[in-house]
Amino acid sequence: MCAREQITQGSGFQESGMTDVVVIDDEESICEGCRQTLETEGFRAEIARNGAEGLKLVERSHPKVVLVDLKMPGMSGMEVLADISEYDPSIVTIVITGYGSIDSAVETMKIGASDFLTKPFAPERLLESVKRGMELAKPAEEAEVTERVVKPLEAPEKAPLNEQSVVLKGLEVLGQYYSLGFKERQFFDELRSLESEAKYHADRLGQVKEKGHAVLDIVRDLRLVDSIIQRYAYKKNALIQILLDIQMKFNWLPRHCLEWVSTRLNIPRTNIYTVANFYEALSLEPRGAHLIQICTGTACHVRGAAGLVDRVSSILGIKPGQTDSEQLFTLETVHCLGCCALGPVIVVDGEYCSNPSTKQIREIAALCEVSCEKGENYAQVELGR
Amino acid sequence: MPRLNSVADLEKLKKNLLDQSKDKKIVSITNGTDGRTHHSQDVLRAFTDEIQRQGLSGKVIVKSTGCHGFCQKEPCAIILPQEICYVSLKPEDVPEVVSETLVKGKLIERLLYEDPNNSARITKESGISFYNLQSRIVLGNNRFIDMENIDDYIAIGGYAALSKAFLQMTPKQVLDEVKEANLRGRGGGGFPAGRKWETTRNAAGEPKYVIVNADEGDPGAYMDRSLLEGNPHSVLEGLLIGAYAIGSHEGYIYVREEYPLALENTEIAIESARQYGLLGENILGSGFDFDVTIHRGAGAFVSGESSALMSAIEGRVGEPRPKYIHTSVKGLWDKPTCLNNVETWANVPFIINKGSDWFKSIGTENSKGTKIFSLVGKINNTGLVEVPMGITLREIVYDIGGGIPNGKKFKAVQTGGPSGGVLPENMLDVHVDFDELTKAGSMMGSGGMIVMDENTCMVDTARYYTEFLAQESCGKCVPCREGLRQMLRILDNITNGEGEEGDIELLEELSEFIQGASLCALGQTAPNPVLSTIKHFRDEYEAHIKETRCPAGVCKALISYYIDPDKCLGCGQCAKNCPTDAISKTEDKTYVIDRENCIKCGICLTVCPDKAKAVVLQDALYARY
Repeated sequence: MCAREQITQGSGFQESGMTDVVVIDDEESICEGCRQTLETEGFRAEIARNGAEGLKLVERSHPKVVLVDLKMPGMSGMEVLADISEYDPSIVTIVITGYGSIDSAVETMKIGASDFLTKPFAPERLLESVKRGMELAKPAEEAEVTERVVKPLEAPEKAPLNEQSVVLKGLEVLGQYYSLGFKERQFFDELRSLESEAKYHADRLGQVKEKGHAVLDIVRDLRLVDSIIQRYAYKKNALIQILLDIQMKFNWLPRHCLEWVSTRLNIPRTNIYTVANFYEALSLEPRGAHLIQICTGTACHVRGAAGLVDRVSSILGIKPGQTDSEQLFTLETVHCLGCCALGPVIVVDGEYCSNPSTKQIREIAALCEVSCEKGENYAQVELGR
Repeated sequence: MPRLNSVADLEKLKKNLLDQSKDKKIVSITNGTDGRTHHSQDVLRAFTDEIQRQGLSGKVIVKSTGCHGFCQKEPCAIILPQEICYVSLKPEDVPEVVSETLVKGKLIERLLYEDPNNSARITKESGISFYNLQSRIVLGNNRFIDMENIDDYIAIGGYAALSKAFLQMTPKQVLDEVKEANLRGRGGGGFPAGRKWETTRNAAGEPKYVIVNADEGDPGAYMDRSLLEGNPHSVLEGLLIGAYAIGSHEGYIYVREEYPLALENTEIAIESARQYGLLGENILGSGFDFDVTIHRGAGAFVSGESSALMSAIEGRVGEPRPKYIHTSVKGLWDKPTCLNNVETWANVPFIINKGSDWFKSIGTENSKGTKIFSLVGKINNTGLVEVPMGITLREIVYDIGGGIPNGKKFKAVQTGGPSGGVLPENMLDVHVDFDELTKAGSMMGSGGMIVMDENTCMVDTARYYTEFLAQESCGKCVPCREGLRQMLRILDNITNGEGEEGDIELLEELSEFIQGASLCALGQTAPNPVLSTIKHFRDEYEAHIKETRCPAGVCKALISYYIDPDKCLGCGQCAKNCPTDAISKTEDKTYVIDRENCIKCGICLTVCPDKAKAVVLQDALYARY
């Protein structure tokens, strides 16, 4: 089965004698090479040797995907991209260039290019990119949406993403990064790490929620991190304070947030991880919705904190430092909360409780489960009792 | 809030505040972290509502204050001017307090403190035996100050020391006064604060920094939390005076993240001080500028050490560095930095107000003033006690603390936290000051005083501290990192009944090595808990090793629980409280423990009624049943 059939299968995408791909490049070898590669896979491709010719061809044959060289005599690739985007935003554009500069790449992303091929590129890479483009073009055609193919990220994603589109989303994120004031970082390194990051997080987050929201969540998280960093005026020495604030927001320190902090403050990741590992209050693993802390200060210890830890552990079924499989509770021991007169002390989501009976512990566990269903924390339930 | 531009402004404000509160009754409710655990927030709300309901608005002022010291009996309310003190209040008591005491001036007997010795009801706070021997200077003002209200602090004469220092004294004079007072650091080391200030003042380099160390890492001590919660302005004022003497214009307060309320109240204090112009530029028209930033600690004991703390403020890992050059000379960002503990700074305004001679009149020859201790553990009256230096341990434990609960036998007092040692019964007459405690083989530390009774296992205590230190060792020095792990391994074996002949000697040998080869005080003092327990309670170690027996009945591997069927009343408390449902009812309506499921948490023993005492502890090895 050829690629084209794969793509069109069952999608309502009908054969209409239209051209699939238009290649606009001043270099003949590139044009021909592309055409041959595409046609062997069953795509119908047409070529144009300059921008003006290319635009006419696009108007005439309504392709799904257009490959545009950035540097051409006469009309530049950028102008062509802008015109195509204006003429029909549903056409997916892919940039091909021999000059991979950060600025040009980001600019093309901004005006709607969905991918970026650096010459020389392997036929596989070309096909991969075009197939992805065809897929992107599909729903737009079905719904006759006139908006840009690369939809603004705020729009909620409905269909679960497959891996490829997650990668593509990574590129979108890059555009978002630009809007956040993204500057002189090395573009391609960034691109690559983002691709893998996006995949990684989509996988991780996909376990707990709909995969489709993963990338959107990442961008939202990074905005939040930005607002925290801004509060400390981008001072490097505020690192610990920033990490504490992130931890307060997310309940732990997610990897993408730490990497973002690294980029923003220009602190090597290794330093950030050293700090995050060193301090006990910082957690590199997700914690449960409810944090249960048991004080093991000396005063609490002599008054039987160890027994309390045993009791709570056996009721919750987790040991100190662990989170249950449903991410409902995290149990921690803390070295002295300074409530020595009340020992042994347990703190549930910030609410202090002195020497609880087994019944009370069971009640706390039950209340936490109830509040989890309602999306509240323990303290709220406790207060509303 | 209008800015205070001069001393006259400050005094005018104070006069206004006093006029406003004249002839009004005041209800001070303890609403610190300890109080809140016992729902003081509800009591506070009940008072505000009830006062409004009974039409007393404008006649009674309700204050939400920090801890007064007697944490165990909180929430308490002190009603001024009569100084009536009600303890262990519940929201449902409040309407009666308002209608009877506030309106009619009658006492409510049942809410007064009951002396456990003679069952007498005590009206005033000062009459309670817990407070009798104390000299509450630093902590004493907590009662009069609403935690979030700078005006309350100003009304009782707050910031008077600041105006005196800034406008009537030169920096040198301030420094000399503190030096003359021989104020020693309250954080543990006991280094003279005046000398520290002087070094920083004379050190080359600008800017100079001043730091408040509120990383109260010592488990079992909480006076710094209480001060920052209840009276943060006293610390700020001390810091400002110190900054003036040293010539610093920038300060930091390093607060543990584990103290949310202290953090909150310090933030509020700084903000309101800024609004009054007590922080910022040209403070009180003196031409002196100063401001301060809060830095939250993130849970690392070693970061309480001065060089580690500074490294943490710089945003790095809080590890200590060698101090061939003291931090007073090269500290934060390699600039001269003066770091003192919360309590040390809080003492400064008193020294400036009342003079060094007054300060020197309290205490012993080389330890002047008072010290706050957290008297906790197996003791009847738990809480914070502020006593003059030189008081004996016996007075603290028996007269202030009221002795050991449930008629148990006193075993030891642990002071100095993980760096300190235990003091057994024959040392109860030691006079508590910096030098005497060191001489006795322990140390002052930050003031934790943990009382242990016959049911506290000293090997377990040593193991507890060693585990704590092994976890908290930053790992920079191999002897500390690896040595502590090995000590912990040996102690684990002993408490698990797998100790061997020669373990004690091995512990001693390792101790000597760690002490000698570690960089900072954490490592140098880490073996102290082990060494001092071996010194005073060697027999307990030997019982564990030779007889696989824990005399105190603590070490889980060596004990088992058993319910005596002849004594069991069949009340079922043990079964209700057992977390693993290991206790079940037998045919003759008594209860029995299933050893397989028992996790030895000990709750059955705790909840078994005193009249029955059916749950008994046995040595695991010799368990008969």
